[in-house]
Amino acid sequence: MDRVSSNLPNDNMQYFTRQRQVDMNAMQSRLASQNRILNLRDDPAAAGHAGRYQSFNTRLERYSDNIQRSIEMYRSTETQVRSALDILHEVRQLAVQAANATYPAEERKIMAGQVDEYLQQLVQVANATDGEGNAVFGGFRTKTTPFRTVDGVVPGHGSSVMVDVEYLGDIGTKQSEIADNQYIDTTFPGNQVFWAENQSIFSARDASSFVLGQDSVISIDDQSIQLKQGDNVYAVIAKINDSNAAVKARLDPIQNSLVLETTNPHQIWMRDQSGTVLQDLGVVKDPESNPPHNLANGATRFGGSLFDMVISLRDNLYANDQLDIGGRVLSGLDKAMGTVLSNLGSIGAKTTRMELAYLTTEKLIPDYTGRISRELDLDVTKAITDYKVMEMTHKAALSTAARIIQPSLLDFLR
Amino acid sequence: MQSAFQGIEMGKRSLFAHARALSTVGHNLSNASTEGYSRQRVHFSATEPLYRPDLARAETPGQIGQGVDISRIERVHDQLLQGRIVANSAGEGYWQSRDKYIGQLEQVYNEPSELSLRSRMDKFWDSWQELSQYPEQMGARQAILERANSLGDGIKLRHQQLLQIGSVLDQDVKATVDRVNQLTTNIGLLNMDIVRVKAEGDSPNDLMDKRDLLVTELGSLVNITIDERDPDEYSIHTNGLHIVQGAIHRPFELQTDLENEGYSAVHWGDVKSRFYPDGGKLASLLHVRDIDLRQEVQGLDNMAVNFIDLVNEVHTQSYGLGGQNNVDFFVEHAFVTNANGNYDRNGDGQMDHSYVFRMTGSNALDAKSQIGLRGTLTLSGPQGDVAVDYFPTDTVEDLILRVNLSGAEVVARLDRNNQLSLKGAPSAALGQPDFVIRKVADSGQFLVGYSGLLTTSGDAGAYQFNRQDAVSSLRTGSDFAVAPVAHPSGWISVNQQLVKDPGAIAAALGPNGKPGEAGDGRAALEVAALRQRSVMVGSSPSFDDYFSDRVVAIGLKGQEAEISVKTHELIMKNLRDMRESYSGVNMDEELAQMIKFQHGYNAAARFITTVDGMLDVIINRMGV
Repeated sequence: MDRVSSNLPNDNMQYFTRQRQVDMNAMQSRLASQNRILNLRDDPAAAGHAGRYQSFNTRLERYSDNIQRSIEMYRSTETQVRSALDILHEVRQLAVQAANATYPAEERKIMAGQVDEYLQQLVQVANATDGEGNAVFGGFRTKTTPFRTVDGVVPGHGSSVMVDVEYLGDIGTKQSEIADNQYIDTTFPGNQVFWAENQSIFSARDASSFVLGQDSVISIDDQSIQLKQGDNVYAVIAKINDSNAAVKARLDPIQNSLVLETTNPHQIWMRDQSGTVLQDLGVVKDPESNPPHNLANGATRFGGSLFDMVISLRDNLYANDQLDIGGRVLSGLDKAMGTVLSNLGSIGAKTTRMELAYLTTEKLIPDYTGRISRELDLDVTKAITDYKVMEMTHKAALSTAARIIQPSLLDFLR
Repeated sequence: MQSAFQGIEMGKRSLFAHARALSTVGHNLSNASTEGYSRQRVHFSATEPLYRPDLARAETPGQIGQGVDISRIERVHDQLLQGRIVANSAGEGYWQSRDKYIGQLEQVYNEPSELSLRSRMDKFWDSWQELSQYPEQMGARQAILERANSLGDGIKLRHQQLLQIGSVLDQDVKATVDRVNQLTTNIGLLNMDIVRVKAEGDSPNDLMDKRDLLVTELGSLVNITIDERDPDEYSIHTNGLHIVQGAIHRPFELQTDLENEGYSAVHWGDVKSRFYPDGGKLASLLHVRDIDLRQEVQGLDNMAVNFIDLVNEVHTQSYGLGGQNNVDFFVEHAFVTNANGNYDRNGDGQMDHSYVFRMTGSNALDAKSQIGLRGTLTLSGPQGDVAVDYFPTDTVEDLILRVNLSGAEVVARLDRNNQLSLKGAPSAALGQPDFVIRKVADSGQFLVGYSGLLTTSGDAGAYQFNRQDAVSSLRTGSDFAVAPVAHPSGWISVNQQLVKDPGAIAAALGPNGKPGEAGDGRAALEVAALRQRSVMVGSSPSFDDYFSDRVVAIGLKGQEAEISVKTHELIMKNLRDMRESYSGVNMDEELAQMIKFQHGYNAAARFITTVDGMLDVIINRMGV
């Protein structure tokens, strides 16, 4: 430029000072808010990442809470199950003692009284509620007492005692999300924890000519099994055996009827979801009635709960049946203890797993907070030095401006 | 013969000329800070000397000088530079206003902070997690209500903020069009004056400065080019059409565009055709209003409509504490009221279209299984239909992905019952309704027998929205949901039934179509899981992706605007500096000129005094 107008230096000074002031103001706001990103345009990618991380951190904190809560639930469940196991130990000792032929009938009756007390304690344990009044072993039916006792008279004893314990809960297990799309069971249904033997159900109906008239769905242990029109009983059996339910089906060789057997000790939970296959095969009453009290007339079930074993011991003690105590009863009690122990083991294993998951989650939270900080937070040292440099240039510009907004000829004219 | 008073005459001319020059210096100094002013220069020239070579010529030797005259007063001005300034001011005007409004859109997000809509939604999902842990409790349900209200308020608030920006933009469009009309009127009037002055042989310096200033301002509002080929007719074009032609100007007028939220559309005032500026502030206002803001509103609506549909999908199939079932969690006021989605689009009293947002097939599919069929899907897209081919070896998952990446305005996913669900996306074209599936057809059997959505394949069985009862082409057993007619984000609210009876908030899935038990929290878990699930919020697979994508998109727009505005401002600054350097007033220069002219004036006066003395000698002292 070979010519300068009188306004030009002034305009330039204003332009650059304004620009610097804008920058200084932005830097000041960053320092005041400690945020690197004032507007999304400052770093759109970082803002996008930070949003994801913030949401993820919110979830991690939720997962951490969920894990802690599941550990607490496992601990209180474990306490209850352990106390059931302790009682079973006492009961088993009495059974071993009573199997000994040296005791007379009267003493066995006294022992029977003792077993009855243990039995009541066992039922009390199985009906335990947590601090919020929810049944621990009722499945989803947390507001119902899971085990109902039926009183009656047994031979060898005068007054009425508990003769049966029925399960009123269901087989739902509460779940907690412990990581993205990772769920863990936090409750254990009572008909699994307090069970002794594998259960089997024998239908009384000949199924050899059974052919399915329409597509149907049956549910066994909450596993839906799809059946197609035209399936015969062998196809049904194959589909049940292929499902994830811990139940095996077979055809009784003599009666040609359906037999369902569990592969581990628990109560079979079955119903017709759509159609009437199980009803037609003579296993359940009708689709409307709820398990487990929906067995068809004529169908028989074997394999009982822990309570059945203890009741059987007590009744044999009343009846002074020393042989049964030493044989069937003792083996039943051992099975019951086995089931309780294996459930205890599973609770313990889950607790350990959750303790590990807790450590991971608690480690992830600061990790991601760190990432958020890296994306969003201001490097204060750099910001302050940058600001200082700007301030210096600003001062320099102002002081030169004050001097070089040129003296004009006017200053010299008289 | 030379006159005795010729010297006085010559001196007088010089006095006048220097006085004129001095007053021009005064004019320059006075206007040193006037915007658009070009300094003026006085051109002196010697007066015609005596004698001309004709019969009247006196027989004297040599030509005799007659003093000085002012030939013209000219502004110092670079016409080509002015042309560059006008051409570049459109860019500056465009980016300055775009930068301002995109900045406002960014602020609506409140990101990244704990105050953003995203964190409100995080808290909403978190409250469902809480319910999944304590399905028996009323407290957890109250918390969900509070969080859902807060989320709904957040969505509505953002919608309102966007609407506010929209109406400010519309106001600005009106003001800008008014200003353009005002400028063209004034330029036309100035043109008339300038031509008149020029006809008298004068140079209308100040008028032309004023016109240049107005044209520069006009150039920052709309893209213009200047045509000065005809000196008597100064013309300005925009998009190749005259906007000013000499004294005539063509005004714009505004018309309400019912297809675009009732915003104003710019039309030519005389021929009534629509005007789409390519540059300048007006173009940026229209772009931000009709593209960027519209995308923001559509994005928010899309999120809201999908969010409502997904939460309701789980919620209606689940059970509350008292066994309540089939209760919507969120309600929308402005949905199509007809059960079949029939809608009277042109308002003639006849149902003529079907507005359906979602349609779901009747068969449960397996994402990983191969289709084993061959065919072509035809789906409505931004510009006409989009064809998506499928082959026997494709898995269901592959095909869904292909549909979602095809650019069609229909997205697909498998819902919670593994049924194929097609959903309408926002439409890119202004005239088409948002969230309405416009066409679905299949030349093969995938949508027909395989997923159980359409009755027949081929064009005969195509679902077309431009007739009433279009849902009759859907197979029995398939499901559909009608589309919203107003902005879903402006109307979202929690179902009042749940507010009165929080127990109806469903946590349980229930066994076999029966009310769930108190401790069943599976439905709550399922709602909470919607957060990361692939649910296809438009082109974003999940809600997390949606929030992240939107933030990055608007941030990048802001970044682009900021860089562009700085670039254009710098270009303009350089051009203005060049203009100022050439045409601006320098005081020192003017003062020096002033001294020069003053001395010239003094000298002329002195010369007259000398001539006066000479005459005095002749008249008074000769003693005749």
